[in-house]
Amino acid sequence: MAVCPVYTTQSLNSTCSISTPSKTHFSSHHNHLVFYRTSKRTSKRGGSSSCVITCSAGDSQTVVIGLAADSGCGKSTFMRRLTSVFGGAAEPPKGGNPDSNTLISDMTTVICLDDYHSLDRTGRKEKGVTALDPRANDFDLMYEQVKALKSGIAVDKPIYNHVSGLLDPPELIKPPKILVIEGLHPMFDERVRDLLDFSIYLDISNEVKFAWKIQRDMAERGHSLESIKASIEARKPDFDAFIDPQKQYADAVIEVLPTQLIPDDNEGKVLRVRLIMKEGVEHFSPVYLFDEGSTISWIPCGRKLTCSYPGIKFSYGPDTYFGHEVSVLEMDGQFDRLDELIYIESHLSNLSTKFYGEVTQQMLKHADFPGSNNGTGLFQTIVGLKIRDLYEQITASKTAAPLQATKA
Amino acid sequence: MATLSSVNLVTPRTIANGPDVPTLKVPCLNRPWTRVSPMKLRVGPVRAAPDGISEKVEKSIKEAQEMCSDDPASGECVAAWDEVEELSAAASHARDKKKDDDPLENYCKDNPETDECRTYDN
Repeated sequence: MAVCPVYTTQSLNSTCSISTPSKTHFSSHHNHLVFYRTSKRTSKRGGSSSCVITCSAGDSQTVVIGLAADSGCGKSTFMRRLTSVFGGAAEPPKGGNPDSNTLISDMTTVICLDDYHSLDRTGRKEKGVTALDPRANDFDLMYEQVKALKSGIAVDKPIYNHVSGLLDPPELIKPPKILVIEGLHPMFDERVRDLLDFSIYLDISNEVKFAWKIQRDMAERGHSLESIKASIEARKPDFDAFIDPQKQYADAVIEVLPTQLIPDDNEGKVLRVRLIMKEGVEHFSPVYLFDEGSTISWIPCGRKLTCSYPGIKFSYGPDTYFGHEVSVLEMDGQFDRLDELIYIESHLSNLSTKFYGEVTQQMLKHADFPGSNNGTGLFQTIVGLKIRDLYEQITASKTAAPLQATKA
Repeated sequence: MATLSSVNLVTPRTIANGPDVPTLKVPCLNRPWTRVSPMKLRVGPVRAAPDGISEKVEKSIKEAQEMCSDDPASGECVAAWDEVEELSAAASHARDKKKDDDPLENYCKDNPETDECRTYDN
């Protein structure tokens, strides 16, 4: 059983790619509906009928993960950490458009939801609409394509070119084992939201967002503190209206705030990061510190472990978030040495690691990524491990009950 | 590796020399693409910025500032600043990509068996 779905995905893919050249246009999503039907028909004609029926009968093989955050808030870094947990580097499709936003590795395919812009840069400027505005995005097409991929059908996904601001000819996306949809609106549309097996929201406080964008943009010609501030402020009403509300639907939220260890710190270098984990999510059990469900405050630095200024402080406990029961793990401060990191890992439980020290190993492997010495890197790595666990649980439950899956 | 890096060095030079040598000598031909060359010349030396994104960022900031001098709350002003953000993010991603873009590493990813890509223990 475990072998069969893999084989069928391949056979489906090949029929799909054969049928694509005649339907490569992406201007309207009706084409994709046709394409959707065509592929079903061809696959039936193709011969391996019993397997194809299993796949197209809604026996979803692709696990879909949603990652929401504003531009410049660390989605790319998170994606690199996540794909690394699954092993193998994620790279743009070989031989395709060099400006493609897609990343592919053995296990995962990451697609950028900007590709579903219905208005290109000129169109948005003419209409006075930002990319944050739902009117600039085609949620019907997003839903159709994510749904198709989830049920094992390849799609011709448009490419939004961030350099030219235009929509480029589409690229073929084959159904992966894990599909990550990252961007501004993965949880905005209810239909798309319902397709997600797990969702994450990166919630960056205004102070930190400002500090990060200064770091990113100050070296860029034409930028100044004023231009960076003006851009953040101009986009804020749309951000508050369309992006921020999505966090209520997320299974995990990573909140990034200024530190409380240094009084009146506004440098944004030392961070306080909170991992908010929803309770009762299928295949996901929150990480905890010392004792599950208790409220704990922990300063690991002292006699046993020496930390450099301003130290490290952890807290953990139950809470509510938009009416949901959650567990919150918080880390304030940063690591300067490896022994600090491994000491902390050894005190956390339910990490879904495969061996002792895996979190530390992952963090070290990508020590050059932003946030590797603080809670952003630590919690991104932990969420990556939890997603691997979730994927393994979902696939295991499917192979355990193959009969039920085919009936449904 | 040696060939790869030398190609990188040579190409910009040939591009820079290309347009001003032959095309300026044949202005009489009524072909539209010859008219393109003087414009290409005016662009001048290629800056280090990948794909000219830096210039686009700079231009978009100027446009946003102009757009907003009339009505800072208008949709056009907000969309202009959104474009600045989009291009700034693209510029940052391009910088990251360039940083990771080692010609030898890229070559060895596809050709791990070749002599220059073999790694030896001890």
